[in-house]
Amino acid sequence: MTDAPRLAARPVSAAPGSTPVRRSLSRRATGLVVIAVLLALTILLSLAVGNKYIPLPEVWTALVNPGDGYAQTVVDSRIPRTILGLIVGAGLAVAGAVMQGLTRNPLGDPGLFGVNAGAAAAVVTATAFLGLGSGNRVWVALPGAFLAVAVVYVIGAGAGRSSPIRLVLAGVVVTAVLAAWGSAVTLSLPGVFDSYRYWAVGSLAGRDPQAIADVLPFIGVGLVIALGLAGPLNALALGDDLAQTLGVKVGRTRLLGALATTLLCAAATAAVGPVGFVGLAVPHVVRSVTGSDHRWLLPYCLLAGPVLLLGADVLGRVIVSPAELMVGIITAFVGAPILLLAVRRMKVPE
Amino acid sequence: MTGARPTGAVLPTAQRTLRVGGWLSLPVRSRSLLVGLGLVGALVVIAMLTVTLGTLGVAPADLARTVLGQGAGTDRIVWGTIRGPRLIVGIAAGAALGIAGTLFQTVTRNPLGSPDVIGLSAGAAAGAAAFGVLWTGILPQPVGALVGASAAMGLVYLATGRGFSSPSRMLLVGIGVSAVSLAFVEFVIVRVGREEAITLAAYLSGTLASRSWDHAATIWLSLVVLAPCALVLSRRLQLVEMGDEQADALGARSGRTRVFAVLVSIGLATAAVNVVGPIGFIALTAPQIARRLTRAPGPNVVMSALVGALLLCLADLLTQQSPFPVQLPVGVLTALVGGLYLGSLLFGQWKKGTL
Repeated sequence: MTDAPRLAARPVSAAPGSTPVRRSLSRRATGLVVIAVLLALTILLSLAVGNKYIPLPEVWTALVNPGDGYAQTVVDSRIPRTILGLIVGAGLAVAGAVMQGLTRNPLGDPGLFGVNAGAAAAVVTATAFLGLGSGNRVWVALPGAFLAVAVVYVIGAGAGRSSPIRLVLAGVVVTAVLAAWGSAVTLSLPGVFDSYRYWAVGSLAGRDPQAIADVLPFIGVGLVIALGLAGPLNALALGDDLAQTLGVKVGRTRLLGALATTLLCAAATAAVGPVGFVGLAVPHVVRSVTGSDHRWLLPYCLLAGPVLLLGADVLGRVIVSPAELMVGIITAFVGAPILLLAVRRMKVPE
Repeated sequence: MTGARPTGAVLPTAQRTLRVGGWLSLPVRSRSLLVGLGLVGALVVIAMLTVTLGTLGVAPADLARTVLGQGAGTDRIVWGTIRGPRLIVGIAAGAALGIAGTLFQTVTRNPLGSPDVIGLSAGAAAGAAAFGVLWTGILPQPVGALVGASAAMGLVYLATGRGFSSPSRMLLVGIGVSAVSLAFVEFVIVRVGREEAITLAAYLSGTLASRSWDHAATIWLSLVVLAPCALVLSRRLQLVEMGDEQADALGARSGRTRVFAVLVSIGLATAAVNVVGPIGFIALTAPQIARRLTRAPGPNVVMSALVGALLLCLADLLTQQSPFPVQLPVGVLTALVGGLYLGSLLFGQWKKGTL
C-alpha cells in the first residue's frame, strides 16, 4: 500500500501511538544520537585544527592521559575556546528556539530583536566611561540587553497590535542606533578600540579562561529555565486562548521566556561578542527533523548550536590560515541565507 | 479672502509653466521654487562654513580668491587638498543618494524601500572591497561596486518572493543581504595587509575624510550622466504612482519605467558608495524631508538631491567641528540620527496601519 491513500483514509485526529508518530519518534531519537556524534567530532576537530595541526589520535591521548609534550600544550591552549564555543553555541541556539516559540514566528532571533546589540553597546559604554577593565562583562551586558529588549517591545507593540515583523523592524532600528553609538565611542577613544575590536565582530579566540567562569552560571540558569518551558511553549503554539484553556499561564510563560533568552544572549554576548544568526539558523534547520515539538526542538538546539558555532570557528581557523577569521563572520555567511529563506516562506499578511 | 480659500484649490493656481523659447517647457510650482531657492541658500551657507570654520579655516575675506585657486600659503592647501575635495564630493554624494532614494521609494511606494535600508549600499561596499582590494586587476573598483550592488538588489528581488512590492519583506531580506555583504568586507579586512585594512575600516562606516579631486571627478561625472535620466523618469514615475493600469493608459509604460528607475537608482547609489563608503540613511531621509517641504506629489528629484547634499554636508560639518579629539566618520553620525528617524517612520506607519 502506498502512503498517499493511507494518509487520505486516516481520520483527522490520529490517536497517539499510531504508526506515523512512532516512526517519527525513532527518527527523532536517531537524529539526536547523530547530532551528539557530530558534536563530539566537532569538539575533537576544534582541539586538533589550527595554526599547528595535531592529529586526532594525539588529541585523544592528550585528553585521556595528559602528559607534558608539545601536543599537550597546544591542545590545552585550545580547550578554553572550545568550552566557550560549546556554552555560547548552546545558549544562542536555545534562546533562538524559545524566542521563535514565544513570538510564533520563524524570524524570532535574539540578534534580530536587538538583544545582542544592547549587550554590546552597554559593554562598550562601560569600558569607555566607567572604566570597566577585563572584569566580568556580564553584569554590564545584562542591563543593556534588558533595556534593548524593553525598547524593542515598546516600539514594536506600542502602536497597538504587535507582530513579529514589527518586533524585528524595531530590532533593526535599535540595532542601527546602538551600533552607530558603539562605533562613535570606539573610534573616538582609540584605547577602547583596541580592546574592543576583536570582541566587536564576535570571536572565540584569545578569551580569558576566567570569561568562561564568569558567564557559565548565567547560561546555566538560562538553559534550565528554557528547557523547562518546552511544554508551555508547545501549548502557546496553539494560540494564547487555547493555551490558557490547557492550563498554561500565558503571561508567566512569556515573562520566563523573555528572561531566559535575555540571560542567555547577554551572557553569550559578554563572553564572545555579538555573534549573529546562530539563534535563527539552528532552530530552522533542526525543525526539519524534529517538527515543532519543543520537547525535542530544545534538546536538539542544545546540541546543534555548539556544532554550528564550533564548526564555524574551526572553519575560520582554516580558511585564511595562518590568520584567523572571526566566528561572527562565518555565522553571518551561514545564517543570512536562512533568513532569506525564512522571509520567502513567510505567510504573514502585509 | 485669503482665509477662506479651500485647500484643494491651491494646487492648480500654484503651478505655473516655465517656457524657454519653443523647445523647453517645465511645470514649476511656486512653493517648490521657493523651497528650492532656500535649500540652495542653506547649502551655500554650509559650504562657506565648512571652508571657513576652525583653526585651519580660510578667512572669509579670502574665500572667493581661494576657491578660484589664487589663495596664499595655507589657504591653498586647506582648500586644495583638505576641505575643498571633501566638500565637493560631499555635495555630489549627498545629491546622488537623495535621487537614488526618491526613485527607489517611488518604485516601491514606501519610504522604507530605500537603497541604504535594503542592502544596496552594503552590497556596493562589498563589491568595491572585493574588486578594489582583494582581487585587484579583474575589474576596476567602480565597476566592482556596481556588480556588488546589482547582485545585492537581485538577491533582494528574488528572496522576497514578490519582487519589490512588499516593503516589510524587503527590509527583512535587506538585513540578511547587508549582514552577508558586511561580513564579506570584514573577511577582506582580515585578508589584506594592515595598511589597507585601516583604510577599509574607515571606508566601511562611510567617511568624507581625505577625499581627493579624483573622487570628486568620479562622482560628479556619474551625477551629470545619471541625474538627467532621473529627471526624465520622474515625470513618468509620477504617473506610475497612480497605479499601473492608469499609468499604462496614459502611456507611462509602468513596467519599463520601473525597471529603468531601479537601474538609475542603483547606478547613483553605487557611485556615491564607491567614493564615500556606505553612508547610511541619507537616501532614506532626504526624499521624505523634500516631500514634506514641498508638499508636491511624485518623486522630487531636484529637491531630494538638494536635501541630500545639504544633509550630508551638514553632518560632515558637524563631525569636522565636533569637540571630540578624533574626527568621527560622517557615516556614524548619519546612522545615529537616521536610525532614530527610521524608528519614528515605522511607528507612524504602524499607527496608520499601512505596514
